[in-house]
Amino acid sequence: MRRSYLISALLLVGLASGQPGATYITPELQRLIQAGGQNYANVLLKQAPDQALCSIHRNRLPPEVLGPFIEEQRRLIKYPEGGRLMGDWKRGEAIYNTLARGNCFSCHAGSPLNIGGNVGPSLEKYGQRGTSEAVQRYTYEVIYNPWAYFPCTVMYRFGHGGLLKPEEIADVVAYLLDPSSDFNTKPALRR
Amino acid sequence: MRKNRLYRVLGLALLGFALGVALTQGQQELDPYKEAERQRELFRQTAGILPGELYAAQGEELFHAKRGPKQVSLEACDFGLGPGKLEGALTQLPRYFADTKRVEDLETRIVSCMVRLQGFKPEEVKRDEVKALVAYVASKSSEMPINVVPRTSQEIAMYNLGRELWYHRAGDRDMNCAICHEAYAGRKVRLSPVRSPRQGLSNEWPAYRFEADKLYTLQDRIAFCYESVGIHPPDYYSEPYIALSMYMLAEATRGKNRFTEMPGFTR
Ligand code: HEC
Ligand code: HEC
Repeated sequence: MRRSYLISALLLVGLASGQPGATYITPELQRLIQAGGQNYANVLLKQAPDQALCSIHRNRLPPEVLGPFIEEQRRLIKYPEGGRLMGDWKRGEAIYNTLARGNCFSCHAGSPLNIGGNVGPSLEKYGQRGTSEAVQRYTYEVIYNPWAYFPCTVMYRFGHGGLLKPEEIADVVAYLLDPSSDFNTKPALRR
Repeated sequence: MRKNRLYRVLGLALLGFALGVALTQGQQELDPYKEAERQRELFRQTAGILPGELYAAQGEELFHAKRGPKQVSLEACDFGLGPGKLEGALTQLPRYFADTKRVEDLETRIVSCMVRLQGFKPEEVKRDEVKALVAYVASKSSEMPINVVPRTSQEIAMYNLGRELWYHRAGDRDMNCAICHEAYAGRKVRLSPVRSPRQGLSNEWPAYRFEADKLYTLQDRIAFCYESVGIHPPDYYSEPYIALSMYMLAEATRGKNRFTEMPGFTR
């Protein structure tokens, strides 16, 4: 099971980088990771092809890999049933401001409830972008799969990684975009 | 006897800590470095001793005591500079050891000596004792320049694997170390400033973390980062830690960094 996953990862890496047979997890690295114990190895050795690409290229994809990579990441995005991209901002608020859920504030400034980090851009007054279909779609897609817009970025692929359900992402979108959301009516908490 | 005194001082120190927490309540913005400095002063004033120094003192007792099935001390343990030579020992770890035929960091070297010299079975080695011993041995490298330069083929291989692991993205949060500690070095995750290895990342461990009220070794600190991104950390004393430490400390050496006060005192 895991083996075939690995092999397909290596194959894809080889294809994408234009060198058939190029590998990433060498036998030495595999042995080292296994020495860390079963629970650790289970996660680290189950590396998906896109994760392998970001690893080999040290998070900066070369132009020839970039196009197909972004196309593939776009294909991975799934939408809520019924297609509503803006849900309930109150529920979104809880997700955004909870470490074990969205944890958005750890990297972004803008929340009226938590002092934000600055790893990501400030989202202060994000709602000023309006609620057009295009803005909703962009916001939803960035949260579902940031790699479709910022390949290999540090922001988690919340939808793709299974960290948030499509409906929960729609709630977060509402928190950011709804004009009546506290995110847009209250000042951001500052250091 | 000595132990009792230690515990009394520790009690006092905890009181100081509680006070510190009480004082910080309600304060909104905290510069983590200033806050650590403040907490450290508080300990000095209320207890007259830092928690890290208490752990080191415990470690010193353990180091010199005749223990284990063979009833010998650890005084013959060689950390790379010769048996019993502790001055600056941490500065050149991890390194390759011919007797165990592997690259070891301070923590694994202590375990090797407890097993080989004192006759403990690996599963009998207590984590708390290793941590105290780490604090003691590290205290002999306080504020010294870091000097980890991979030379032997084993050390170079370990460095290279550490670098691969550093960039290895995995898990449902697509994590690797570089994404935080390189791409965003100098920025903040919540209140915490993030450093890169060249900037000296890992130069304050082992350290007493006042937020956790515990001594953290470098392995504990790496494990903490894994946990914070939802990945089950490697087993203690396993090679992923040694490889990552080798990579980070060799890079810190290239950046001409020193260790902080040892054990460190941090948030
Ligand atoms: C680990 C850090 C991190 C976390 C956690 C995180 N982000 Fe991001 N986010 C980033 C970074 C970095 C970028 C910029 C992308 C880049 O340049 O790589 C970004 C970009 C964005 C953007 C696009 C910004 C723009 O101006 O168009 C949005 C929207 C966003 N994040 C929302 C969120 C939400 C909502 C959450 C929580 C569900 C979240 N982020 C969690 C790091 C993070
Ligand atoms: C999501 C971002 C993130 C990831 C991923 C991450 N770290 Fe950290 N790391 C941090 C933050 C934040 C701190 C805390 C800095 C502080 O409070 O001083 C930290 C602290 C540390 C420290 C101690 C701080 C110091 O200055 O010595 C070490 C060592 C460390 N990380 C190593 C690693 C290693 C090794 C990995 C990969 C296995 C890793 N980290 C992955 C964010 C991250």
